[in-house]
Amino acid sequence: MECREIEELLSAYIEGKLAAVPRRAVDAHMLACPTCAGLRDSLIQLICDLPDLHEEVPFFLQNRLLQISERTERRRPHPFFFPKWVAATVGTLILFLNLFYFTNIFPLANRGLHSAVSKVEQLIAKTDGFLEKIKESKDMLLYTFFNKKPAEEKINEEKKGISLKAIEQGGKNG
Amino acid sequence: MEIVEIIRRCKSGENEAWKMMIHSYSKAIYNIALNFIADRDEAADITQEIFVKVYNNIAKFKEEGNFTSWLLMLSRNYCIDYWRKHKKHMHKVEMDDTIHADAPNPEEVQVKQSEIARLREKMLQLDPDLRLFLTMKDIEDLSYEEIADHLKVPIGTVKSRINRARIKLAQLVVQAGSEHGMSRN
Repeated sequence: MECREIEELLSAYIEGKLAAVPRRAVDAHMLACPTCAGLRDSLIQLICDLPDLHEEVPFFLQNRLLQISERTERRRPHPFFFPKWVAATVGTLILFLNLFYFTNIFPLANRGLHSAVSKVEQLIAKTDGFLEKIKESKDMLLYTFFNKKPAEEKINEEKKGISLKAIEQGGKNG
Repeated sequence: MEIVEIIRRCKSGENEAWKMMIHSYSKAIYNIALNFIADRDEAADITQEIFVKVYNNIAKFKEEGNFTSWLLMLSRNYCIDYWRKHKKHMHKVEMDDTIHADAPNPEEVQVKQSEIARLREKMLQLDPDLRLFLTMKDIEDLSYEEIADHLKVPIGTVKSRINRARIKLAQLVVQAGSEHGMSRN
């Protein structure tokens, strides 16, 4: 056996966990090799010394640790999970879109963005008309089935009533 | 009280359970930090930071049975991060020069303390992972199986790393001893 192989077995050898055959081989090597025998002795000494490094927890630290539960306010999990990297990506995207929209650094991107924005505007215009129609049909339904006048019409009527009264009163006064 | 029960009560915010947790684990974590950093004040700060993390995250912890593994992994990661950030300043090891007046043999105590300080200083020259494995095995007296189980590392790797760490440390100590002897002569 070579010294390198012996080194790999040294801990198991010292702990008495080697099988009989390799143990005898290590024993034989130790008799012939003073370097490995010296290393074995140092290792035994080290294993004896290392437990002395164990220390008790200092009193002040013990107190500080016990006070953690009183001093620290436990962080509650956020109800809305929004990872930081998503926020960073969205922010960067918005920044670049603004840059491409308001400057002409990349003409192609600028043109594309403007056409996209105009499409969105058209869509909004169409949707507005659609919403208007929905509102009208809702008013019609309410008037037909429940005889309820739309809120705007009511207000107009009230205004009309007030102005008529005022005219009448003005006439009486002179 | 079993650890599962302690954790369950810690989650519901019972101070008594937290005290039990500190009594059960503070010694191990402090010693891991101390032998990793070799400075008492910094080891105390690290231990405190680790327990603050434990306190803040214990509600998220699901598998009560593996609490020790979770805590040791947390400590290992924290110590290694700390080491990476501050390794430039970690060369000198403080000497414990407080010798009690009633000590039976003050000279002997001083020799022992200087030996301990030298051993700690040599430990700083090991790779962080080797240092951690060695601390768990030879200072905290955990078995190979426990270390492998807690740190999720194959047992063969644990054995070979501990063997490597012991040999390296023994060689460093012998080398330092001979240098010390030469400087005396």
